[in-house]
This record gives sequence, C-alpha cells and structure tokens, in this order.
Amino acid sequence: MRPKLAILISGLLIIATTLFVACTKDGTASNASTGKGGSLTRFTISGDHLYVVDNHFLYAYSLLNPQKPERVYTSPLNFDIETIYPFKNYLFLGTRTGLYVYSIDTAAKPRLIGEARHARSCDPVVANDSVAFVTLKGSAICGPATSGLYINDITNINKPILRKTIELPDPVGLGLQDSILYVCCGPAGLKVFNVKQPYSPTLISTAMDGKYVDVIPYNGILICFVEDGIILYDITKPDLPQKLNKIVN
Amino acid sequence: MKCIQIVAALVLLSACWKPVDFREKERPMKKVWGNKPVYAAMNTAKQITFLVQKQPLHKAGNIYAIGNYIFQVDVGRGIHVIDNSDPVKADRIGFLTLNGCEQISIRGSYLYTNSFADLVTIDLSNPTRPIEISRVPNAFPEMAYNYPMAQPAETGYFTCPRTDSAVVGWIKDSIHATCFK
Repeated sequence: MRPKLAILISGLLIIATTLFVACTKDGTASNASTGKGGSLTRFTISGDHLYVVDNHFLYAYSLLNPQKPERVYTSPLNFDIETIYPFKNYLFLGTRTGLYVYSIDTAAKPRLIGEARHARSCDPVVANDSVAFVTLKGSAICGPATSGLYINDITNINKPILRKTIELPDPVGLGLQDSILYVCCGPAGLKVFNVKQPYSPTLISTAMDGKYVDVIPYNGILICFVEDGIILYDITKPDLPQKLNKIVN
Repeated sequence: MKCIQIVAALVLLSACWKPVDFREKERPMKKVWGNKPVYAAMNTAKQITFLVQKQPLHKAGNIYAIGNYIFQVDVGRGIHVIDNSDPVKADRIGFLTLNGCEQISIRGSYLYTNSFADLVTIDLSNPTRPIEISRVPNAFPEMAYNYPMAQPAETGYFTCPRTDSAVVGWIKDSIHATCFK
C-alpha cells in the first residue's frame, strides 16, 4: 500500500509541479496570479503590493521585485486591527471598533475613505459591489457587541450603512460565492445563507462536520479551516455543499 | 488565591497580547505547578527547513489556496503543504518548519509569511521543495513579543518568557510563577 501511495503522490507531484511551473513561468511581476486567503488574515496581496496589519499598524510592501519585498508605507492606526480584506481598489480593515475602508488607488499610499463604527468586538469582512458582510463576535476579550452577522450597504463606499443584523452564536470567518454566504460558527456549524436579497438573507442549511473557523470558496471547492484541520466541500452548486474530504490528524 | 487570579486576569485583559509580570506582592511565594518555556536561540529558531513527509497538525491556523495546492499554517510552528489536485484525496504532503509563523499570502511562485517579527519570502517554484530567498528583519515589531508561542496554550501560571530567545514550546513543571493567563 505504502509504495503504491508514494508512487501515486510523486506522480501527482510531478504533474502538479509541471503545471505550476508552466503556469508561473511566463508570469511577470505585475500579472503573476494571486491565490485566495481566508477572511481572518492579516496579510493580503492586491496588485503589486502586500498589505499587512498588526494590532496597531498598516504596512504596505512593494512586490515589484517579488523576491525582495520592500516597505513603502507604514501608518500607525489608533484602533485594534483584526483582519484585512481586499476588494477591487479597496482594503477593508476589520477592527475591534468598526469597519474601515481604505482606497488603494495609489497602491503605495492607502487612504482612509470610509468607516462604519460598531460596538467593540472582533470582526472579519467579505464584500461584493454593494454589500459588506461582517461577523462580530462579542466576548470578554473582544468587547460586548451582540455576536452575529452585520450587513452593511456600501453603495456609497465613503459611508457604509448598517442595514441588517442577524444574531449568530460565535461567528468567525466567512466567505461569499455568487449569492451564497458561508459563515463559520465554530461548534455551532457552518451556516449557509442565500444573500440574493442581501438585507433579508435566508438560512438554507447548517453543516455540522467540525468546529468551523474560516472558509475559502475556490474553484468550485469550499475549503474550510476547522479546529482540527481542513474540510473540503464541492460547491459546484454553491447552495448545496457536498462533503468531499476531511484532512485531519 | 482567587483574588490573585482575578487581578491577574484583569491585568492580562488590559493588555491582551503582552505577557504581564506580577507585581512582587501578588506573586505566589511558593513554587506552583505551571508552564515553563522551552527556549531556542533566536537565530536557530528562525532557521527554515522543509520536511518532505506529512507531519501531524498541532494547532490549525490560516489557510491559503493557489492552483492545486492548499497551505495551512500550524500556528507558531510552520506551514503544511497540501496537494489538492484531487480534492477527494487531498492530503498534507510536506511541512515548512517556520517558528513564530502565523500569516500567509502568495503571489505567483512566492509565498510571503512571518517568522516572529520578520517578513520572509519563500520560493515556491517547486512547491514540494520550498526555499527561503529573502527576509526583512523586524518588519512587524509588534510580533517580536506577540508571537503565538509567547504564551502557553492553557490558562494558569507560567514563567514569563525572556525576550532575547525564542519560545518554541512549553512544558509543565514546578515553577516560580511570574505570569498568569
């Protein structure tokens, strides 16, 4: 069994490596493909820049020479930053006091253009053209906000408006595929919402295969970061995730 | 005892991510059962190697997807490489040991991550043989003391770690407690 598996894996690796090399070979610095991260991240790449937040600073690193990132921007921020999420020419910063929107029209000089304050809490963000979905998790450390899904109208990006709140137990990371929103609620499951009408979402189902922390919808697969590893779902039909695999110890 | 714990908890909460020293009079006088740091010299701890075999996951962390691969951070320890060319059979195939690691982002064939406060660039041209190609020391100064291993996972008494060495683990022992979480 073992040698067979090893041969299979090395076979896959060779194929994958060839593909990987083939795909990246002709990529120059500015059109190299970026992968996809979760919603709980503090590192994100948009265009030719890597944006990083630690608790109190926003940094931009130029990747014009991708082998040697160079710091081009540092800004001290007076709020506790939790997460960073890129969308088009914007960065959404989820902080303990609210949602902050930065314009990166000038990539090396992010500019604060909008904010929606909320009660103190922890909060990852995902967004589409007109709506930003935020989860807030109230706790002793994060603050007293009501835990749940907060849906902000960002039609006017300078002025996000909170339109709808849905109470949820311990919400953490979230991901958006078409009009389906996946919200991780730890041991309370993975909530699947239809958000076609973003301000009146409907709960379609709840998956209970692990303790969900974060998700990435990627190429028809929903990659879930669970407390003991990863669970993969087929989301060819985004509203009907089908479990494919669990990668745990 | 309860009082000490409450005071300690309050102090800790007021500075969530920074280890907090007890004031002298609040410190338990006798030795207590608690967590003791396991140190490595900083330059040793920052060495990066790649293990070409599947490794057990200690603490699941951030995930990142690109092409047929998924990367998962093992908080404070490194990054698992997962071959996802067939999602039904996807599995971990290797491990990048990267102490102090928590974040990850990838563009093209370069992976950007942190090792403690350093920004590290890893060449992924061959995803089964990733190698470090550059490093920006102290890129994120806050992370120099606020790294995942800087505190034990469980609540209770522990020895406040030194900052001139890297904590790479915690063991239970009879200790003179200087910190509490």
